[in-house]
Amino acid sequence: MAEDFPFEISPMFEGERIRKNDMYVELAGPKSVGFELVRASEMDNVEDGKFTLIGPDISEMEEGGRYPFAMIYKIAGELVEEDLESIVERRNHDFQNYVQGLMHLNQRYDVWVRISKEAVGKGMTSFESIAKAIMMLFKNELPFIEKVEAIYITDKDEIEKRLDEAKEIYKSRDDRTRNLHDEDVDTFYGCTLCQSFAPSNVCVITPDRVSLCGAINWFDGRAAAKVDPEGPQFAIPKGDVIDDMSGEYTGVNEIAKTLSSGEYDRIKLHSFFEYPHTSCGCFEVVGFYIPEVDGIGWVDRDFPGTAPNGLPFSTMAGQTGGGKQVVGFLGIGINYFRSPKFIQADGGWNRVVWMPKNLKDRVISDIPADIVDKIATEEDVSDLESLKTFLNEKNHPVVDRWESEEEEIIEEVAEKTTATTMPQMQSTMPMNFPTMPQMTGEGGGVKIILKNAKVSVDKIIIKKND
Amino acid sequence: MTRTIAITGKGGTGKTAITALLIRHLASSNQEILAIDADPDTNLPETLGCEVERTIGDMKEFMMTERDNLPPDVNKESIFESKIYEILNEMPKYDLIVMGRPEGSGCYCYINNLLRGIMDKMVENYDMVIMDTEAGLEHFSRKIIRNVDDLIVVTDGSRRGLRTAERIRELVKELETNVGNIYVIANKVTDETRETIKQTAEDLGLTLIGLVPADEMIVDRDLKGMPLFDLPDESIAVTEVNKIAERLGL
Repeated sequence: MAEDFPFEISPMFEGERIRKNDMYVELAGPKSVGFELVRASEMDNVEDGKFTLIGPDISEMEEGGRYPFAMIYKIAGELVEEDLESIVERRNHDFQNYVQGLMHLNQRYDVWVRISKEAVGKGMTSFESIAKAIMMLFKNELPFIEKVEAIYITDKDEIEKRLDEAKEIYKSRDDRTRNLHDEDVDTFYGCTLCQSFAPSNVCVITPDRVSLCGAINWFDGRAAAKVDPEGPQFAIPKGDVIDDMSGEYTGVNEIAKTLSSGEYDRIKLHSFFEYPHTSCGCFEVVGFYIPEVDGIGWVDRDFPGTAPNGLPFSTMAGQTGGGKQVVGFLGIGINYFRSPKFIQADGGWNRVVWMPKNLKDRVISDIPADIVDKIATEEDVSDLESLKTFLNEKNHPVVDRWESEEEEIIEEVAEKTTATTMPQMQSTMPMNFPTMPQMTGEGGGVKIILKNAKVSVDKIIIKKND
Repeated sequence: MTRTIAITGKGGTGKTAITALLIRHLASSNQEILAIDADPDTNLPETLGCEVERTIGDMKEFMMTERDNLPPDVNKESIFESKIYEILNEMPKYDLIVMGRPEGSGCYCYINNLLRGIMDKMVENYDMVIMDTEAGLEHFSRKIIRNVDDLIVVTDGSRRGLRTAERIRELVKELETNVGNIYVIANKVTDETRETIKQTAEDLGLTLIGLVPADEMIVDRDLKGMPLFDLPDESIAVTEVNKIAERLGL
């Protein structure tokens, strides 16, 4: 490295841990206070390379002690803007870990730093050398930073005084982040962690659509793909918009084709009925179409009972999973309920008729106020009949659909057409198993097992095939 | 290079006692030691004489439940890593981490994927990793721990016990974990059982690396719920485990 520091600097030291016995001091961490903060500032307000320390320096600290610790960096440059703050702040973690004898964990007001005895022995006796090294790395590695200034604080009162302000800044950043939508980015992320058991599953993660397991959001995908582009999470260039409303993009369709080995070539991210997202097996919630009320119910993994259609989560999950597009069922992560694009191609919340109470309570603040009381739970209804009554009483938006459909049917009957009014219906009946694994061809016998099925037919003719 | 030793066996064979005594032996060296309790029964801390409040399982649950409350763009790996270090018990002679409770009903693919990366980095910081693990080897099959230099199966010396060792050997072949050597330690051995155990092990083609005699001191301490880590050197089990450690080149 260019300047003379009393320590080595290299990415090689990134995984280095400092054990309690080898530690000279511990700074911030779970048993103390502290924070790290990067602020974008005006060029005139930043004195490049300046370091200020408020509180005792390393040399004034007791060996084996624990001290509060805050790091503030003011950055400036023509291209520096507020939105870059959190990205630059993340790099403080990397750069501090490049320093031999320094361990940096976590972020924001959870930072946790240790300095080794060995490093102090070799001359790391002042925070100034550390801050200068970090500032050098900031400018070398992030060239848009033209000026940088560092303020380190080890004085508890001073840290506590500034902590509230820092928390305000983190909060406003988070609010901005939550406002990021599909249309604001040009890259989505894919995840293949589930392909081990759902080989044709294509999990597409966008700002408005969390992974089906609920664990990976767009930012997680971005972070993982950056570290290991060949890993289980990877970038999907969004491509051109085919349809905004249903969320269809050329880039997603291409990757769908590749990842599903050609089984699917279209995915509409915010659609329930048409080219829906595939469902792996990890999804937290499964949505199911209820033809009798032309609405959609949702049931989560933790709900032990049966949905109004008479089926429990496990049965529907079994039919939905395996990496297929199963029209009439859709696996999702719970956070997708919070998405402003939640099945918007099919009416969004206005199409939701039933959810378990616990699940509803969990996302209640994200349900539009005019619909929230119209969505039934197991406390309101127990079967399709009572659901229908409930929806009617509450004047749920789907009720309007019933009337218009009835009119359509009448018209069509009058015209003596054979067209069906609800093409989805046939393919969404619960007994429509995507495959029939129970069927065995051995020995010429056929065994068909129908579970939880209600079958009513006028006539069945079975003929021997000669 | 880190050397990883895993100790497994059926419940009740005394694998945790053997693990504790191996750690006791290693603690006299200047090596950096990480002890991992990968048995959901979690007896190792007590056997070593330290208190563990929280486990990796707890931290996995934390990540699952807090997931949607964390700032959307935080680096979850970095938070999870910090949480894992928070529960690392830093004892004077070794560090101890406990795997703990089994997973809940949700999907842990992503969390486990993060955990693999964190454990890979963590393990590199030690000269020696020694883990007490249940016979099903779940953490290996999940590849939370990827490479094992020596897998030691502790058995009570009965034919059935040695059959377990044989099954574990078969199981290892099916896992994608790299296992260097498989050894067997017979525990609670008496003069009457000694020769039969040797013969059975030979018949099954198992490498018997030691026969630890039944030790009154251990029985006594187990009854009183006292740790084994500070057993005196005179303990006959300690003497034998120290010999085994030497045979293993520890």
